[in-house]
Amino acid sequence: MASTALRRLMAEFKQLSENPPEGLMAGPISDENYFEWEAAITGPQDTVFEDGVFIARLTFPQDYPLNPPKMKFMSKIFHPNIYADGRVCISILHAPGDDPMGYEQSSERWSPVQSVEKVLLSVMSMLAEPNTESPANVDAAKMWRENREDFKKIAHKHVRMTLEEDPPSESRNT
Amino acid sequence: MSSDDEDYLYDDDSDDSGNESTVNQDEDDDNDDFGMDIGLGEEASGSGGGGGGGLMMMVSGADKKGSDHAHPYEVLSTEQIVEHMVDCIKEVNSVIQIPTTTVRILLNHFKWDKEKLMERYFSDSQEQMFAEAKVVPPYKLGAKAMVAPDLGGRGVSLSAKSTLECEICYLTLPKSLTTALECGHPYCNSCWTEYITSKIMNEGASQSIECPGNCDILVDDVTVMKLVKDSKVKLKYQHLITNSFVDCNRLMRWCPAPDCPNAVKVQFVESRPVKCRCSHLFCFACSENWHDPVRCVLIKRWIKKCDDDSETSNWISANTKECPKCKATIEKDGGCNHMICRNQSCRADFCWVCLGPWEPHGSSWYNCNRYDEDEAKNARDSQEKSRAALQRYLFYCNRYMNHLQSLKFENNLYSMVKDKMDEMQQHNMSWIEVQFLKKAVDILCECRRTLMYTYVFAYYLKRNNQSELFEANQKDLENSTEHLSEYLERDISAENLVDIKQKVQDKFRYCDSRRRVLLDHVHEGYDRDWWVYTSDDITS
Repeated sequence: MASTALRRLMAEFKQLSENPPEGLMAGPISDENYFEWEAAITGPQDTVFEDGVFIARLTFPQDYPLNPPKMKFMSKIFHPNIYADGRVCISILHAPGDDPMGYEQSSERWSPVQSVEKVLLSVMSMLAEPNTESPANVDAAKMWRENREDFKKIAHKHVRMTLEEDPPSESRNT
Repeated sequence: MSSDDEDYLYDDDSDDSGNESTVNQDEDDDNDDFGMDIGLGEEASGSGGGGGGGLMMMVSGADKKGSDHAHPYEVLSTEQIVEHMVDCIKEVNSVIQIPTTTVRILLNHFKWDKEKLMERYFSDSQEQMFAEAKVVPPYKLGAKAMVAPDLGGRGVSLSAKSTLECEICYLTLPKSLTTALECGHPYCNSCWTEYITSKIMNEGASQSIECPGNCDILVDDVTVMKLVKDSKVKLKYQHLITNSFVDCNRLMRWCPAPDCPNAVKVQFVESRPVKCRCSHLFCFACSENWHDPVRCVLIKRWIKKCDDDSETSNWISANTKECPKCKATIEKDGGCNHMICRNQSCRADFCWVCLGPWEPHGSSWYNCNRYDEDEAKNARDSQEKSRAALQRYLFYCNRYMNHLQSLKFENNLYSMVKDKMDEMQQHNMSWIEVQFLKKAVDILCECRRTLMYTYVFAYYLKRNNQSELFEANQKDLENSTEHLSEYLERDISAENLVDIKQKVQDKFRYCDSRRRVLLDHVHEGYDRDWWVYTSDDITS
């Protein structure tokens, strides 16, 4: 199983580096371990996160792609669907069996045909349009709904912080 | 694909019950790749040969409950359950004529309610029904099935020559090594196998395995059987399917005895005793041990009460007081009424009697004369109430446990009686003449079981004339049961043998009749609304 996972991750990495989607970058942290990736996501234009470059960690299970990776932001980010410790709560990272409440359509959830690229694109659009229905960070959801100006201020502060941080590791080598 | 795959799912080879095998009419079809004996993989033949329906199974007479209930029930082994399921499928299939494997998914969607399925099928919302059940309507996939008639089931191996990239492992493979459901999303067979295996083994899924792509079409049995090679996985899949069949079926229930593979099927749902082939006797409605004369709701409550810590808290409130400052629970085991709380951060001085601060008590160390009529009364009342409730519970619980304990020695009793019977046969009695002893133990155990549950019933009962009558019955039965038990303990010698036999027989007949009287009285009470319960939310 792990060999399928490795093969698939290598293929995905190759595809992502040959054809990187706009605003996204991702790859294994080291050549020895293809199951730990780092990704950089640019804040979408015309949103409060514009211009920020947010770094996240992706951890893949041995039976990938049967089960989804876990994703955690390393950069500080204040967002209704991201826990205070950076873990991302998004339907595409949930296995179909994980949703006892029935909030999510199965088409939005993880399946083996999803990919790192699709996950990152979903996260990107989540940054632009938070889902405040089932928030991971209740404070952020409340502020997003009730006090957009304060939310913007915090987001801008975090965007500035990402620009002062080290750039993502891929570009560090250059 | 060879006939190696014939061994699992709906396999009725191991049929040992002498049932009418009406299910093999597809067996002669050599094109059936997956060889399931009952032809699940075949298109609806339209013959409806197996359409005899659910009640074709013959069950040996011993499994039928005769006298007490007009409606017999059946005990079904795992194989019979599968057959039964197949019969159900065939019955529907003979009417609506769509592939059996689709019928199973549909039936499962309707919780095996055939009528509901037929109703929806012949209504306007047929298409919607297929969508809800997550299958592609069979009339939409005619074309594909025509092109590849050699392929069983809904899983269609595309046989075109070109290659295809599997979206799961990203390998490019010839199309012949890939499989797609009717939704047309092809993946390579080894990814399919991994995917299905993981769903079955890790998630215990059988009904809800969807296409791995972002679509919700369900994987059918034939495809599973074709793609999965590991026999352990196949077996588990079959278990999961039968499990969900029984669980969904209101008229069926697994025998709750540990490791018992049988299920019981009745003709309509009611609270009634059913006896499994493993000799476990249980209530069909609630799966608890048969609990006449108590009703299911009460026995549930009682079991919960006995399991809960609720009685611990009753004990605490009856026997302890709280520190007025830090609320620590205190049990007083001696000494004067001047209490100093041991809690290091509290150290409150207070009076045990009035729970007020100690200071005003001055030097009157041994008693409290600050008697506040109302406050003291309230405190006393509430304490007495919970003390009384606890005592009441303990009264009934002790008696219940007592009979339960005696029943646990049931096996010892049977073996002891067996020794006695052997002994008596040496005293020139024939085998048939000593059988009364076994019968006596049977009745003794039944009486104990009934008595045990009468205490549960009594615990929830409010006093009235009928409950007095009930208690009189209970007392009489209890007395005579203990007598019977005592007779069985007596040593039997050649001299007293005839005498004892007479006494035991008289006693057990009496016990048996008193037991029936008691039960009949309680049942009559249910019918005539005699019983009033201690709490309002109990409805009988």
